[in-house]
Amino acid sequence: MIVGIPKGLLYYKYYPFFTNFFNELGVELVVSQDTNKDILDEGVNYCIDDACLPVKIFHGHVAVLKEKCDIILIPRIMQVRKKEYICPKFCGLPEMIKNTIPDLPRIIDKPIYAFSRKKLYTWAKEAGSMITKDKNRIKSAFNYAVMEQDKYRLGFNDKSQQLTVALVGHPYNIFDNYINMNIVKKLKRLGVGVITEEFLEDNLIDEEIRHLYKKPFWTFARNSYGFASNVYRKNLVDGIIYISSFACGIDSVVIELIKERIGNFPLLILKIDEHTGEAGLDTRVEAFVDMLGRGLR
Amino acid sequence: MKITAPHLGNVYIAAQALFDGLGIEYIVPPMNNKEALEMGSLFSPEEMCLPYKIMIGNYIQAIEKGADTVLLPGSCGPCRFGKYAEMQMNLFKKIGKEIGFIVIDSPGDIGIKELFKRINRISRNSKRGKIGQFESLLKAVKIMNILDEIEEKAHYLAGYEVTSGECKRLLNSCKREALNTNNPGDMIRVLEGYKRKLDNVKIDKGRNPIKIAIIGEIYTIIEPFSNLFVEDKLMDYGVVTKRRLTPSWWVKDTLLKPTKLNSLKLKRNAKEYLALGIGGHGRECIGEAVLAHREGFDGAIQIFPLGCMPEIVSKSIFPTISKERDFPIMSLVVDEMTGEAGFVTRVEAFVDLLERRRKNVLSRS
Repeated sequence: MIVGIPKGLLYYKYYPFFTNFFNELGVELVVSQDTNKDILDEGVNYCIDDACLPVKIFHGHVAVLKEKCDIILIPRIMQVRKKEYICPKFCGLPEMIKNTIPDLPRIIDKPIYAFSRKKLYTWAKEAGSMITKDKNRIKSAFNYAVMEQDKYRLGFNDKSQQLTVALVGHPYNIFDNYINMNIVKKLKRLGVGVITEEFLEDNLIDEEIRHLYKKPFWTFARNSYGFASNVYRKNLVDGIIYISSFACGIDSVVIELIKERIGNFPLLILKIDEHTGEAGLDTRVEAFVDMLGRGLR
Repeated sequence: MKITAPHLGNVYIAAQALFDGLGIEYIVPPMNNKEALEMGSLFSPEEMCLPYKIMIGNYIQAIEKGADTVLLPGSCGPCRFGKYAEMQMNLFKKIGKEIGFIVIDSPGDIGIKELFKRINRISRNSKRGKIGQFESLLKAVKIMNILDEIEEKAHYLAGYEVTSGECKRLLNSCKREALNTNNPGDMIRVLEGYKRKLDNVKIDKGRNPIKIAIIGEIYTIIEPFSNLFVEDKLMDYGVVTKRRLTPSWWVKDTLLKPTKLNSLKLKRNAKEYLALGIGGHGRECIGEAVLAHREGFDGAIQIFPLGCMPEIVSKSIFPTISKERDFPIMSLVVDEMTGEAGFVTRVEAFVDLLERRRKNVLSRS
């Protein structure tokens, strides 16, 4: 049996868990290749046009995978922290895929509540039962996968350059180099180091969100706000770059809250969609870096 | 304290009754208008959804009329609405207009004590005792229920009326007269009177009008300004419309939510396509579409603001429902740039299409 894992959305954050879990169950794995033009085109072709770029790209990954596997994993990640959500589109992701892409293989679309080990195990049991009947094997695969995920460290923390910027946004915008057009590399070439939210401890985020009237109920909004607010208050960086996909409902709120918090601190918002041209993005990034450089002098 | 609240369909009438009953001054923002929307879009973040922008316009116009406190329900669901209050507070601080906010959140999120504290900020201004206050609240809820009933009936009878335009006229004068009363008891009497009048509208039972269900995002379907008065237009065409999401439905749904007994019928019908709640009213929207098909409607129109996250999910499910059940569903996206002519053309074309399907004109040719 071959299980397909699309390399989109939160794959970058949670792939050690998913790949190790299925590996341990003894199935063959196919992961779609890095996002590229063809995948984007497939995604735009199938997905409804109101959705945001990362969701469209996820559709593309599923479309190229569907003929290469017997079961496809479409993670319906409902919650990764208690009382917080990710985005309504994540909760309905399998439905969006099922109803727009024809001739799909079987799908693993059980809801994932990842805020406790016990809750996550419920998913593992359901997903595992589609592959094997051996409960002990599922359990040991699950334990191993969680262990691997805990060991995994994602993110950038490069303070060696002359300038440092905080790269803020949803993980899939920051770690998919096709979506953000290799921004980390570009910045490095300009002599700018990048740090990301993964290197901020959780309790520090809690400290920052106390500035808000209401606790944010989106996990990644909470992280982005907490991170931006922290680096601003402690003056850890020279500027903040926010990568946001067009029509993202969550970003439209978080960006406003961040702006409110940081006042005149340098902030560049890069809006991306399927039509974004690389030249325009380069110009804006270069101009921003020039501006930060002048501030140094 | 002069309280105001953003517009949502006919809620302002019930709110007026509530605050008349409590003896607190209530400022109705001017009916939604272009100026309010323009002002709202000027001060709002560009990618924010339409309801937010219209609300900002409401507040600004209400402040001009002397309001100093905004009353706003909240939520902590995955939909953006839950964050409105905070962003609006920031906005008014930034543009230097003095206005207080009272946000009514569900006790599960802020704690029952905090909720009472917030409610107390309103009720301590009332000269009436606790029982009197509660009575006014019940009366306001009753008014909302009757209003929704009247509206539903008028939308239904518009397809059967003998003198065309009668239902619409009655509906409009009903709202006008209800607003002119100055205590809840009188208002209930006026509304009951209009309910009877609607029962006596001359109808032609032999007619078989087109029936359309209006589904989608709750604000944009309830607030007629945001959907360019689509229900009124359909009334003019002699089309029967039905909208299940009403303010009184919302009150009931919100109160029942902790027990998970809310809108069972919609959930049951949505199950085949979307078994889980995804925030906002995405699941309800699917349920309504399926239910509309079961109840013999000709088609459904989905309306939602640009970028509305839950409705995008339901929109991507609709093609399957349409195909499997042979049931036309049209999705209309509204934002501050929506032009009326384009909107009307699409609605008219949709009605034409439904008519033709009935008469089988296409297969005859």
